[in-house]
Amino acid sequence: MNPGSSAVVAVRRRPFTWHRLQKLVAPYVFISPGVIFYLMVTIIPMIWGFWISFHKWSIIWPAHPWVGLANYRALLTEDLFWTSLRNTAVYTAGVVPVEVALALMVALLLNTKLRGRGIFRLLYYLPVVTPLSISAVIWQWIYHPHVGLLNWLMRVLRLPTHDWLQEIGTAMLAVVIVGIWSGVGYRMVIFLAALQGIPQTYYEAAMIDGASGFALFRHITLPLLKPATLFVLVTSVMSSFQVFSLVNVLTQGGPLDATNVVVYYIYKRAFGDLQFGLAAAASFVLFAIILVITAIQWKLVGREVSYE
Amino acid sequence: MTRADSLHIAGADRRTKTSRRGGRTFVQVLGRILTYVLVAAGAVATATPFVWLILSSFKSLQEVVLFPPTFFPKKPVFSNFREVFSMIPFGRYYLNSIITSVIPTVATVLTSSMTGMGFAKYRFAGRSLLFWIILSTMMVPFPATIVPLYVMVSRAGLVNTYAGLIVVGLSSAFGIFMMRQFIMSIPDELLDAARIDGASEFRIFLQVVMPLTKPAVATLTLFTFTSHWGAYIWPLIVVNSDRLRTLPLAIPYFSGQYFSFQNLINAASLMSIAPVLVLFMFTQRYFVQGIALTGLKS
Repeated sequence: MNPGSSAVVAVRRRPFTWHRLQKLVAPYVFISPGVIFYLMVTIIPMIWGFWISFHKWSIIWPAHPWVGLANYRALLTEDLFWTSLRNTAVYTAGVVPVEVALALMVALLLNTKLRGRGIFRLLYYLPVVTPLSISAVIWQWIYHPHVGLLNWLMRVLRLPTHDWLQEIGTAMLAVVIVGIWSGVGYRMVIFLAALQGIPQTYYEAAMIDGASGFALFRHITLPLLKPATLFVLVTSVMSSFQVFSLVNVLTQGGPLDATNVVVYYIYKRAFGDLQFGLAAAASFVLFAIILVITAIQWKLVGREVSYE
Repeated sequence: MTRADSLHIAGADRRTKTSRRGGRTFVQVLGRILTYVLVAAGAVATATPFVWLILSSFKSLQEVVLFPPTFFPKKPVFSNFREVFSMIPFGRYYLNSIITSVIPTVATVLTSSMTGMGFAKYRFAGRSLLFWIILSTMMVPFPATIVPLYVMVSRAGLVNTYAGLIVVGLSSAFGIFMMRQFIMSIPDELLDAARIDGASEFRIFLQVVMPLTKPAVATLTLFTFTSHWGAYIWPLIVVNSDRLRTLPLAIPYFSGQYFSFQNLINAASLMSIAPVLVLFMFTQRYFVQGIALTGLKS
């Protein structure tokens, strides 16, 4: 052994200093508060909720007998649950396409050299920061059959007036409109951010090659908006499936369960009838549906997403 | 490049370039006008409920129930804003909303920044597994966990307490993810330079990393505060005493109880949304920037 190699070993084996110790411990110190709180309000409830869904469980009874799949079986044979699923699907089908299309359109328009663009962006975003239940109160008044703005407008246009929130034919439409109104702004900002992330050079290169106008939009803007579109679609569908506050304030699921959606069903089962087991089972059905739909969207839109 | 420059897109620049060369064509002018008309029409449709709300909160009770409705208040009154406080414990609701929004927002921004720093700048056992778990549970809809959460909170004896309202909002997967993405873009050399100067890891976090995360922190603050200020389903479940009602619960309740006092309901609604509107106006310049730097790159 020559003296040189032992010197190298000596250098490698640095003393275990305070500095090295804290660099080793630091990541755990940094992540623990966030991760622990997060696990406590997400992972643990999920596991526990799954457990609850196999029991006859009520907050007022001390005993929680195991019932196997009985809650799931009860759900799938209950008309009201199917009604709530169908209503949720109708709400989603009403909100998502319109919301995404409007958001994209507004983002494209606002992304041009427009005077007062900041003000417009602010206006479009206002409904997003307004608490949904308060939006619902504002709209309740617009929908009011006697003094509401909407019926006044209908009269001016000589169209039939309605008791918008109380008629089976119009209640869901009324909720959908408020849903769209409060959701467009957020999706628009996502599209706007994505549009501004497209490098100018792509357009310049394409213009040198002779592309212009619609071709630029079709072959550069649209494909590069795909990740944003996927994100907007997925989040839009997810939040539509979770609609609750609008329904609870505007219609309480009525008239005749015409706007009874899944989360409203869960809420009523758990905190109205105290059937926690059944409500937990319904929560998992909702979760499974969202998971499947998201996976499908990922497959359909997401396949070609990774450009960068 | 200034912010204003970066906001212009190809379409606009291209159009101005052509027009500088050859003067504006009829089609270009028409397109311009059409753009304005469309944007303005959408903005009017979006803003009408707010304008209606604001104008009506200055109307007297007699005027607010008139049909056909008046648009501008004939004789503006300011007493509505005062009367709300004597009709319902509005100040108490307001305080409840402030407590249950500010504490979770501060906590979330803090825990998200720290956790984001941990995931972005260190290698440690279990890093990718933990991060993957947090990311994948972003998919879990909150309403799907309310039943077990309620059971947990009630067993902890926190039903009808501030703690029960606050405890579910101390940390967020979205926040962790966002801060991690942002902190990852800060060069390691900056941190190493501080280390060579003898700074502790926590000091590096506070004095090197945090000052650079301003846009992300602003965006996260806005998002988190807005969502807690508007929180509805959790307070609805966990609180049943009037004393602890937050504004999103109190306003619909008020509106249900005193439906004919629409002028007061409007004044109360307007006062309830004012803080988020103000916060948004102050943070909106960071906003698109913050979103662009996060979220979409997953």
